[in-house]
Amino acid sequence: MLMRTIDNVGSVVLDLCYFMGSVGLFVQEMVVTLFSTRLKVKKLFYQMSYIGIGSVSIVFLVGVAVGAVLALQSYVGLNRFGSTQFIGPIVFLSMTREFGPVFAAIMVIGRAGSAMTAELGSMRISEQIDALQTLSINPFQYLIVPRVLAATIILPFLSILCSFFGIVAGYVTAVYLLAINPDTYMETIRANVQMSDITNGLIKAVIFGFLLAVIATYKGYVTRGGAKGLGMSTTQSVVLANVTIIAADYILTSLMFTK
Amino acid sequence: MIKITGLTKSFGAKAITRGLDLEINDGEFLAIIGRSGEGKSVLLKQIIGLITPDAGTVIIDGQDITKLKGRARQAVFKKCGYVFQFAALLDSLNVLENVGITLIENDGKTIEDVAPLVTNRLRDVGLDQDVLDKYPDELSGGMKKRVGLARTLMTNPKILIYDEPTTGLDPITVRLIHELIKKTHEEQKVTSIVISHDIEIFKYATHVAMLHEGKIAYKGPASTIWECTNPYIYQFIRGLPEGPIKQIGFVNESV
Repeated sequence: MLMRTIDNVGSVVLDLCYFMGSVGLFVQEMVVTLFSTRLKVKKLFYQMSYIGIGSVSIVFLVGVAVGAVLALQSYVGLNRFGSTQFIGPIVFLSMTREFGPVFAAIMVIGRAGSAMTAELGSMRISEQIDALQTLSINPFQYLIVPRVLAATIILPFLSILCSFFGIVAGYVTAVYLLAINPDTYMETIRANVQMSDITNGLIKAVIFGFLLAVIATYKGYVTRGGAKGLGMSTTQSVVLANVTIIAADYILTSLMFTK
Repeated sequence: MIKITGLTKSFGAKAITRGLDLEINDGEFLAIIGRSGEGKSVLLKQIIGLITPDAGTVIIDGQDITKLKGRARQAVFKKCGYVFQFAALLDSLNVLENVGITLIENDGKTIEDVAPLVTNRLRDVGLDQDVLDKYPDELSGGMKKRVGLARTLMTNPKILIYDEPTTGLDPITVRLIHELIKKTHEEQKVTSIVISHDIEIFKYATHVAMLHEGKIAYKGPASTIWECTNPYIYQFIRGLPEGPIKQIGFVNESV
């Protein structure tokens, strides 16, 4: 029993080490390719459009819902202390520092990240990636770099949009539903918000975009095992990317906002 | 010339190639035969550098390609063309983009630039320009293989490697594909290596090699293959159940 437990723990640790090493080499290859080969600009713009413009509607819906809920929940709590004038800063800071980047990333994982894994995985198991190599086309230059770079560039913009929609929804909820004075709402935001609240949220979004795209492309690139393997890769990619974003959010929040 | 020495590759506990030695001369048309699951495709992928062997060397024109990385390895791919078993066409691109991809991506040419060249290559493999706008899922198996060959020929390789080019095709298409391979071999003056389970390939190849238990059990001229007394070849090409090649995967397994 004890030996079996040790065996299982050892196996998990070895798998984890293999995975970390493998992802490390993948990122290294990607970075080397980025700086040593010509960037496929057309593909980069296509991916930016696919990830960015394609995700605007869903980011809008999520931003509005989160902003409105935040305003309502804040009202419930703050009303008990007679501090409802602070709904504005709470919605604003929550959206820019936390929910904007995190929800934008989660939406992109669900919509574009899973598609990246499925597309690359399908190309892997049908030997299309091998075919690219035999044609002297660098798969990292052709497939990986444009996707990772596009997600890294576009996620801050989606984060801004998500935050903006949330703040507007919070304003509408607070002013028209909860009868908060609009001037007070705006004034308290101006008085309590710093530029770093916005920039740190954007830094988070850049890092989230990079992480989610690396996980999505890596999982697709190493797919094996036919249709079943492709399904597993896609599921693992979505789960792992979401967990990574939440964990990275905690770490970044600790580093950025605790001082 | 391709000189393979001591080529060894395992996947986990399963040994695929076990110290395999093989020499292929320039201009040779070599048919590699062997049972399913013997590792013929793995051998080809090691020759071209898609799979790195655990040990051994693959020397192409005096250069050991197993030691190459990055751009040096890419240069090897320019010498060698690989026609995949199921063509491996990029399914998001149409035929024109698929065949012209190396010129578009590596040389920065536009679709308009490559269109006449692609049309010529398609004509070489017996396809007309009606297929240019079609996507891979709109093509038959034989057409996909022709498009795959046309795409490979765009790089003007010196060595052409075919991984089971006739699998799943009807006898007429098989014959047409074989003739196309022969024609390409002669016109392009390339070294051709073909994996095939089809004994018709002996009519077209100059040499035959048999892969058995991770090594080359026989290599000799294709013209005299039916007179060959090598017990492995004798049993294999006649499809005899009795002989040195053991049955694997059947109920009365003797290995």
